[in-house]
Amino acid sequence: MTLRAPSTPGGARRDESSRRARRAWARREEAVWRLGGRVATLVPVGALVFVLAVLAVKAWPAIRVSGWGYLTGSSWLPGSTYGGVEKVHGVTIPVGAHYGAWPLVAGTLQTSAIALVFAVPVSILTAFALTEGLPGRIARPLGFVVEVVAGIPSVIIGLWGVLVLGPFLAHDVYPLIATHVPNVPVLKYLGGSVGYGEGLLTSGLVLGLMIVPIIASTTRDLFLQVPALPQEGARALGMTDAEVARRVTLPWVRSGVIGAAVLGLGRALGETIAVAMVSGSVLGVVSPNLYGTMTTIAATIVSQLDSAATDGTGFAVANLAEAGLLLAAISIAVNLAARAIVRRSGALRAPVGRA
Amino acid sequence: MDEITGRSPADAHVASVLRTLDPDRDRPAEVLAVQRLSVGFAGQRVLRDVTVALPRGTVTAIIGPTGSGKSTFLRTLNRMNDRVRGFERDGDVLLDGESIWSPAQDLLAVRRRVGMLFQRPNPFPMSIRDNVVAGVRAHGIARGKQLDVVAEIRLREVGLWDAVKDRLHGSPYRLSGGQQQLLCLARALAVGPEVLLLDEPTSALDPMSTEAVEALFKTLTPALTLLVVTHNLGQARRLSDATILFYDGQLAEHGATAQVFEQPQDPRTARYVQGLVG
Repeated sequence: MTLRAPSTPGGARRDESSRRARRAWARREEAVWRLGGRVATLVPVGALVFVLAVLAVKAWPAIRVSGWGYLTGSSWLPGSTYGGVEKVHGVTIPVGAHYGAWPLVAGTLQTSAIALVFAVPVSILTAFALTEGLPGRIARPLGFVVEVVAGIPSVIIGLWGVLVLGPFLAHDVYPLIATHVPNVPVLKYLGGSVGYGEGLLTSGLVLGLMIVPIIASTTRDLFLQVPALPQEGARALGMTDAEVARRVTLPWVRSGVIGAAVLGLGRALGETIAVAMVSGSVLGVVSPNLYGTMTTIAATIVSQLDSAATDGTGFAVANLAEAGLLLAAISIAVNLAARAIVRRSGALRAPVGRA
Repeated sequence: MDEITGRSPADAHVASVLRTLDPDRDRPAEVLAVQRLSVGFAGQRVLRDVTVALPRGTVTAIIGPTGSGKSTFLRTLNRMNDRVRGFERDGDVLLDGESIWSPAQDLLAVRRRVGMLFQRPNPFPMSIRDNVVAGVRAHGIARGKQLDVVAEIRLREVGLWDAVKDRLHGSPYRLSGGQQQLLCLARALAVGPEVLLLDEPTSALDPMSTEAVEALFKTLTPALTLLVVTHNLGQARRLSDATILFYDGQLAEHGATAQVFEQPQDPRTARYVQGLVG
């Protein structure tokens, strides 16, 4: 069986013409490739602009009615459900409707802060264990598990949070803290009623668990890039492993770790369904202590969208859109702040990879 | 006692701290005594039956072809190899008469007393001043304002003070390679070591920096004992009192530097120092 065509008279000419056809095809492919690349880069930029623009347009009635009061107000009242309407600043709204997003903003920032406080140290220790502390045959599968955990759907984590983690914490852990804190300013915040497991601290911890895999796997990859020589130098100077980690390894990748934390923070700020399940979904109040029920911007949008659609004036939806705009603004502000921190702390940092 | 009273106030301070901690230091003439040391990694023998003593306050050069075990030998002396996978040893290393692996020895203290300078400069990601005092801080030798004094003394000692005094809080990575290596030397000296292990310390430096660093090494004795691995035979001749030649994991020759270079006992040494092999 021959795989090659027998050479015939005129074969050379046919080769020549097929080569030309191939070159023409390659040129067309090149043009498509370049154009496709340009169009593709426009997609995310266009999507961002489009989303923000639509949100702003939808939110405009709410902005006109509430002004800055939206940021400071605490009530979340849809107003008359019997069709009674009034005009405020030229916008038709249900009678008695009043919206203030302060509790949502506070809840978003509080839960995300708790998540970071929990997740950053845990992630850094995990990364150290994966790169130095544990032998390779344990560390490799464990590292794989960490990455798999990052892929668990948040609704499952939320379900586990509300059925298992929340009740456990409220029953066995929170009381220990709450009954032992002295009644002084600041620490008082850790005392008081611990509730039934749905609320601020549970939400923060669930968010923290969700972002640990993101921060830990990024941090582990960063640690692997730190050159051995400075670490050896520190060890040769008589530093303990912990000192080597604290004074050499961690500072070496500090800006990268901050970046990883911001990545996690972005997820925590925007996480919706898990928080909607474990926060208690209570509108209009800032939790009086660490354990109280509350809600966040993202959780409110998802839990209120259905009922907001029943508001014939569209004012409820406008307020949710404004809340969404606020969340986008917070996320962008956090990213910019992180960049500023990285730039400032980068002064003494050696570029990764330089020995 | 001269050896530990040292040359500078910082040395004197370190020495006085040490005397307070350990008033009855009986100090043999050999600061390091290596006894029938064999080292291997996962069954692969790298060093075979090495016995050698380092007299206090001398400079000993270690020469030999690549892969002859020089660096392994050096890194064994401050226990940097202990945690390398499959590390196994036979024989012993005595520091001031006591085994560096004895359970009574504190690993961190051994490394403070036996310092190390590496092939390439390895400043830590912190300011120049913090680099110098990093070890001092870790060992609690000085604190607060004293750290500034230690930093200045050590930077003056290595001749770096004038170059860096206006940027003590700046990045060490903007210094030249030679300056970075001097900074690492200042850092190693700051904890008051008795022995300094130098692993090809000038191999990444240009000739001018090399000359400056070599000149500095000479000023460190007799307060310190230096052990320097080098591929540069000229450097070995210029610097050292004694020379060791490693060949295939074994100590092929050990003697006064002039004798090793001019009347080598081992034919392999003769070929190596004449540049015929290596």
